[in-house]
Amino acid sequence: MNRKTLLVSLTLVSLVSGIIGTVLYLASYFWGLLLILGGAGIFLFSRFLRDKTEAVELLKKSGKSLLIPVAGIILAVLAGGIIMLLTGYDPVRAYKAFFLGGFVRNWHVSVLNATPLIFTGLSIAFAFKAGLFNIGAEGQYYVGTMAATFLGIRMGLPPLLSIPLIFLISGLISAAYNLFPAFLKVRTGAHEVITTMMFAHIARYLSPIFIRAMGGDPATSPHAYVTYPILEGNKLPIFRSFLPLANYRLHVGIILAILMALFVYYILYYTKYGFEIRAVGQNPNAARAQGISIGRNIFRALLFAGFLAGLSGTNQVLGLTHKMFENLDAGYGWNGISVALLASNNPIGVIFTSLLWGALDAGGQFMSRTTQTPNSIVEIIKGIILFLIVARYMYTYIGNRLKRKRGSGPVGREKV
Amino acid sequence: MSGILSVFNLNLLIATIRLSTPITLAALGATICERAGIVNIAMEGIMIIGSFFAAVTALATGNPWLGLLAGLLAGGIFSLIHAVATISLHLDHVVSGAVLNILAFGITRYLMVLFFGHPGTTDAIPLSLYRFQWAIPGLSKIPVLGPIFFNQTPIVYFSFILVIFFAFIMKKTKFGLHIRAAGEHPLALETIGVSVFKIRYLAVFISGLTSGLAGAYLSIENNVSFTEGMTNGRGFIALAANISGGWTPLGSFLSSLFFGFADALQVRFQIIKLVNVPSEIFIIFPYVATVIVVAGLVRKSRSPKALGNDFMIEKERD
Amino acid sequence: MESGNSKPVILETRQIVKQFPRVLANNNINIHLRQGEILCLLGENGAGKSTLMNMLYGLYKPTSGSILLKGREVEFHSPKDAIRLGLGMVHQHFMLVDTLTVTENIILGTEPGTAGVINYHKAREDVVALSKKYKLDIDADAKIETLSVGLQQRVEILKALYRRAEILILDEPTAVLTPQEVEELFLVMRELVRSNVSIIIITHKLEEAKAISDRVYVLRRGNLVGERITTKTNKQELANLMVGRDVILRVHKVEKKPGTEPVFSVKNLDVKNDKGFMAVSGLNLEIKPGEIVGIAGVDGNGQSELAEAILGLRKGEAGTIFFKGEEISLLPTKKRIARQISYVPADRHKYGLVLPMKISENLVIGYHDKKPFCGSINLNYQEIDRHSRFLVSQFDIRTSGIAYPAETLSGGNQQKLIIAREFSRDPEFLLISQPTRGVDVGAIEYIHNRILEMRSRDVAILLISLELEEIFSLSDRILVIYEGKIVKEFIPEDTTDKEVGFYMTGGKE
Repeated sequence: MNRKTLLVSLTLVSLVSGIIGTVLYLASYFWGLLLILGGAGIFLFSRFLRDKTEAVELLKKSGKSLLIPVAGIILAVLAGGIIMLLTGYDPVRAYKAFFLGGFVRNWHVSVLNATPLIFTGLSIAFAFKAGLFNIGAEGQYYVGTMAATFLGIRMGLPPLLSIPLIFLISGLISAAYNLFPAFLKVRTGAHEVITTMMFAHIARYLSPIFIRAMGGDPATSPHAYVTYPILEGNKLPIFRSFLPLANYRLHVGIILAILMALFVYYILYYTKYGFEIRAVGQNPNAARAQGISIGRNIFRALLFAGFLAGLSGTNQVLGLTHKMFENLDAGYGWNGISVALLASNNPIGVIFTSLLWGALDAGGQFMSRTTQTPNSIVEIIKGIILFLIVARYMYTYIGNRLKRKRGSGPVGREKV
Repeated sequence: MSGILSVFNLNLLIATIRLSTPITLAALGATICERAGIVNIAMEGIMIIGSFFAAVTALATGNPWLGLLAGLLAGGIFSLIHAVATISLHLDHVVSGAVLNILAFGITRYLMVLFFGHPGTTDAIPLSLYRFQWAIPGLSKIPVLGPIFFNQTPIVYFSFILVIFFAFIMKKTKFGLHIRAAGEHPLALETIGVSVFKIRYLAVFISGLTSGLAGAYLSIENNVSFTEGMTNGRGFIALAANISGGWTPLGSFLSSLFFGFADALQVRFQIIKLVNVPSEIFIIFPYVATVIVVAGLVRKSRSPKALGNDFMIEKERD
Repeated sequence: MESGNSKPVILETRQIVKQFPRVLANNNINIHLRQGEILCLLGENGAGKSTLMNMLYGLYKPTSGSILLKGREVEFHSPKDAIRLGLGMVHQHFMLVDTLTVTENIILGTEPGTAGVINYHKAREDVVALSKKYKLDIDADAKIETLSVGLQQRVEILKALYRRAEILILDEPTAVLTPQEVEELFLVMRELVRSNVSIIIITHKLEEAKAISDRVYVLRRGNLVGERITTKTNKQELANLMVGRDVILRVHKVEKKPGTEPVFSVKNLDVKNDKGFMAVSGLNLEIKPGEIVGIAGVDGNGQSELAEAILGLRKGEAGTIFFKGEEISLLPTKKRIARQISYVPADRHKYGLVLPMKISENLVIGYHDKKPFCGSINLNYQEIDRHSRFLVSQFDIRTSGIAYPAETLSGGNQQKLIIAREFSRDPEFLLISQPTRGVDVGAIEYIHNRILEMRSRDVAILLISLELEEIFSLSDRILVIYEGKIVKEFIPEDTTDKEVGFYMTGGKE
């Protein structure tokens, strides 16, 4: 067996074990984690065989890039502990329960929380790549839930057909919800932060009307403020149907979310559409000078972002809730912002930051149930992590830029 | 037909002033802050913080005036985080603002559960500033204008004073001139020895104070308690008000009046129960109004040239 | 060093060193300035002149060494200290706030008034008195954005004088002035010297150094490499000191006959600028293949609007643009690029490069969706990388790798990247604007030679530049643009820069 075949087969083995391990791990089989780590190890080993220095470089680089996020998390955890102490709670007990709940016992809850976040995180990250802040993702999420509920109740096709269709159609409807803000941005320069935010409030206020129409009218229906349930065939399959040890609520949405993240990555970095969107986001003037249409790409970005955020709502309805509730204040849109920022708007990174965020939520819930420490300390910890990591990232980025530039040029510099 | 028209009476205009006050205050803050070059979308979060601390202090001390002070200061202090992030750490202004909004929600929720044992709404404060409504002798007797402008509650009066005060500062004082320069050409200030950092920090702090005051109004003057989410997007509407007001104090005031009008109208339509339309249709009036305003007027007004641009000095400080 | 001026030394630096993280900007600089003297600091971009001046003005702190003012050692913590001690600086990029008035800009930071309120009445009086005293006429109530560049510079000078500057530092003051305005500036400088102001002028232009200064210091790569009395030296000597080797001051242009039929023409073009005024009106020009037509003019006479209209970035109000027999006036930018029109923009950071993107990505942008770089949807990175490596070696772009972001390149190499991209597309028409701005002398030579190479390949070239020397050096024909019209045409060999300058400022026959 020559060297090349060995390397190729090693890479294949690491890939396969990584994928199987991921699926198992997501379905709460913890030894799936071992498979993932094993796969990573084999991959590194194959790199090592190919080129010693390159492998070491790779390790160093990934170590360095993980340093800041990990430091941020540790600092935030410490700060949270101090706040708990100051307000009369036992941080050690709390954190023990927290870790148990988020990362061990209730790992399935973390995954369930993470799935919608991945979608909204992708939505916001994608828009950011185009230089746009899709802050109203929450509204597009609502539209997605409404569309999915409507279709889920009505569409009676075989599941293999109807589920993808429901995803597609509700995604398109959510994308259309962003049409007006996109149009306004292109035509009048109206800032999408204000317009999408307003549209988000509008969607939130219109959803009760929808719920009442779909069976939740307190005046006429037995279950007030809740719509009819969706058809059995439209529910997302659960892991338990082929992996018996999995939790009964864990549905395959997470696989869909990860696939979507890979798809978004592909679009951004391997297609001409992604190229143009990135160029427009990083320097619209230069893009325009090379014939790239700013307006068309803003449209594409905002509409696709709307599509992604809508999928988040669809995922929740078809996978978890199977109906729509009033006052569904889930906050996936807002948390999507954090998740995207933490991942520096990298689609693959969004997967991981969403899982982290989901674990934080699950851990917090478990902690508050078992130790009576208020769940909302998690919100503060999240905020601190977010602040520290985003600030550090910017700071080092700018520090590098300053170092690279020579000493000449105007003294103070305005960086646009 | 008479159903619709019955809405348009003096009470509508009085309510317009009442409902526009928090927007005015936050928009004034946005004016100062953005004129100095810092984008502040965290006003929603700052309002929440101000609103919460005002209610809690009023509850704890029984004195709503202390609550007012607390709301003010809490907003100012919280806004300093935004100042540090954008001015010293060179963070993107919009991102920092978004993060602060998230932080504000977390902090208030945690403290809510800590102090009251449950999220949602705090207990009712014993004495609301609404009780301190004061009809200015003489002026409040003027037909139409009297009841609207001169028979209002304390923070409303503050907002009037602040509009005039800020307009004066911007036009006639050194500080105002420096603010204007900081937002157009910060380097010009730095090279004659005026610290852009100091000006921007002050400007952000001032916007924190006014937004905190706006929040305090919501909980202890317009209401008797703090409820999560009571700001309801007003921070963002205030942003739009500042933009459509052309980044001037007077313009922000007039735009805020428009949004207050939309809000007042919406409440009245709900009460009247005009047509068989679900009440939610009316609730969205202010948001739709904001979108229309932002769409129509953004092109026409000119933002400060250096707004949102990061400013760095390549020098070492001792 | 012997000098004709026996007045006392009022400003001196001793062993001044400034070290930045990666660059030693100033290495043991010893200079002195005598009272009533006009001193010149000469050096090319990046030589360290601005760094030195920024230390004198309190914007930077020296790493080591000392500054002496009137014999006493001083330390500046901020420009406030320097201003207080009588130093004033007129920066290359004006530090003026466009939307404020002349008076407001002049008093900024030292406003008269009490308790924070500005006394505008007194301010205005002071400004008017000041302008009369130094014979610098100005309208105290005008907004800066309405003033010409020359007048804006006057406001900058008045700013320094308002703060009682005794030493005035001028950083590249003639970069944006017409020949006439330069003459006026020199008159002002001589008048100031008569009023006992001492002047340091920083420049990279040899003619200025020769024309106005009493003494010259030459800096190169952070080192002081020479001190000369102006009257006792010449341009060639100074140029060699600046660059460290023998410099060819003008590239060697070969005689060439252009094609017979114009391949590119503009007829009666009207273009509005951002403020709604007609920046280009009734403009006509035509260019034959293998011909370089240079547009000479003061900044702001319609050059950028003309360039944008030709590229399709700005719509013309009237008139037509023809290329290869086809009217392209209504074509979108993308289609014009596809028809072999290439553009080297004046502002390379704004229009030429997407700095955070990789060098390879910057080399294909514009053609990124065409074969072979792209299939129907997917980008073909193998082809893109291959092409990029080829261009990097062909155009001598100094970089550690094509996967690095474009912002890691130096200014000259960034410009080479743009040129590599645009020239390698085999254009038949080339629009080049300010190709050597902010580029050091070595790279200037290279870029000029490549432009001439395109000329020899029968490309029609339109060159827009604010540097008259560049125009003279490269053009076959010179067109002078004034207020949006072509007012005069010259053959370089038959005219002088004074004559061209005359028409650039609106002079008529």
